[in-house]
Amino acid sequence: MGCFFSKKSKRKSSEKDERMPTTTTVETTTTTNSSVPLGNNSEEPPKQYSWDKREKVDPKDYMLSGLKDVTVGRHPGKLNGQQFVIQDCENCNIFVFDHAATITIDDCVNCRIMLGPIKGSVFFRDCKDIKCVVACQQFRTRDCKKMEVFLCCATQPIIEASTGMKFGCFQYFYPDLAFHFKDAGLSIFNNNWSNIHDFTPVSGENNWSLLPESSKVLDFVPVPDPESEFKSVRISGDPERSIVPLTKGGRRKDSDESCLFVFFAGEYTTANARKLIDEVTAKSFVLVQTKEVSMRPEDVKRVFQNSADELVDWITKGPVIALELSGGGVVDACRSIADQVFPGTKVFVSENKNSSSRDVDNFFNFADMQMGL
Amino acid sequence: MGEAQKGLLSVIEKLKGSTEQEVRIVLLGLDNAGKTTLLKSLASEDVSTITPTQGFNIKSVASHGMKLNVWDIGGQRKIRPFWKKYLENTDLLIYVIDSADKKRFEETGLELSELIDEENLKGVPVLIFANKQDLATSSPASEVAEGLNLHTYRDREWQIQACSAVSGEGVQDGMNWICNNIVNKKK
Repeated sequence: MGCFFSKKSKRKSSEKDERMPTTTTVETTTTTNSSVPLGNNSEEPPKQYSWDKREKVDPKDYMLSGLKDVTVGRHPGKLNGQQFVIQDCENCNIFVFDHAATITIDDCVNCRIMLGPIKGSVFFRDCKDIKCVVACQQFRTRDCKKMEVFLCCATQPIIEASTGMKFGCFQYFYPDLAFHFKDAGLSIFNNNWSNIHDFTPVSGENNWSLLPESSKVLDFVPVPDPESEFKSVRISGDPERSIVPLTKGGRRKDSDESCLFVFFAGEYTTANARKLIDEVTAKSFVLVQTKEVSMRPEDVKRVFQNSADELVDWITKGPVIALELSGGGVVDACRSIADQVFPGTKVFVSENKNSSSRDVDNFFNFADMQMGL
Repeated sequence: MGEAQKGLLSVIEKLKGSTEQEVRIVLLGLDNAGKTTLLKSLASEDVSTITPTQGFNIKSVASHGMKLNVWDIGGQRKIRPFWKKYLENTDLLIYVIDSADKKRFEETGLELSELIDEENLKGVPVLIFANKQDLATSSPASEVAEGLNLHTYRDREWQIQACSAVSGEGVQDGMNWICNNIVNKKK
């Protein structure tokens, strides 16, 4: 069957329509061609949808293409949740300081890229020598080589036919970043940065690994040049200022003692969770993982077991924020913090270090299933 | 009389009593096309957190002794050779295209043209969803149709439907075509 889009299509029978292949061009004003049939048996006239009625945009405004040796990107408010396309760039510093619907990055070499929160997917294809900071719902690569990624990803990241891929936890701050996470519908507490699925694993080799824990994001993706258009954006790479909390993820823990700490929905849940993180990290405990997820009454019994009865009412108010903390003495420390720092707040804290690892497993297994991971 | 059924439920209501016990729909397309988002939308489920499909997803609805199964198969290049293993007894193919990923139009056109040649899909109606119409660089359905040479399909019923799976716009129109075209098909 002939294919207009293809430069070389397979011909399998003589009945096929022979056609000269042509490249598809991107026109600045796309109009719907009403003479092209959209089906071979429908008699209804074509319908008008919201995309037919809206003001036409120039696709070029949503693309960066063929750039070399420059610092370029988008300021807050300039992308506003639309799609963005980056292609054929070399030795560029690319900053997208806004939320986006989806971003594709094709054929880029030796670039440093910061991508603000993306509601859908980020897809890197045929890229090489990339250092980036990315927050997204889905992270995908194909045919990429040597990438170092500071990642916040709501689902399991995937790579295909890619090698030399290294991952670390998202660390970044700029003033509007928290709002951009909300605009993109992403939770700062749902970050699966360290467990990558490889569609093309190679026996005896690893196509991906984790960045050293001490890696500092600004060593990989430096702040924009002070002479550039982005000089006024106040950026920080300090882990304590990061909008996304730093989690240990899949890295091996030093201690076997863990603790589950859960905040129930209320006005200050996010702020409270951040405060807890500050309190425990100041005492040198480790934040392993976090989750923000909705619970139904039937989930409460399975997850909290003995404490279930009193908690059932609290889960209806909104999603809970759960944290796994680790370190010798962490359960006692958390119980003490709950009493002293959060006396009026509804929380769940593991009772003791014998039941706490079961608490953690029960909760995070439930959360993974709930989120389809 | 309640409001009209949507998504998969609308299909099974229409099928009631008119054809075989089990109807099989297969959902294919390149990775990142929006297949799983579409499937969840058809099942009236939340589409805000969807993970890349590693194997397949299946949704089944049953009503009045009829069963409708929709298979959503992962589209990464590495696992496309497995597509043909899912095609036996398919009653309808839904092929999803990311209309805003111009870079991969050629690739998706090639995959579709190979599918159409599969023995198990001989004469099987195909609905093409030109998805992601909400995005700035998306091509309209007519352009996608032209590029795929759909008008050369002479041996089966076909339709291309513009949609945005994340919002649901255009999806029910595609399902209405499916209702009309599964009923007519005789094995």
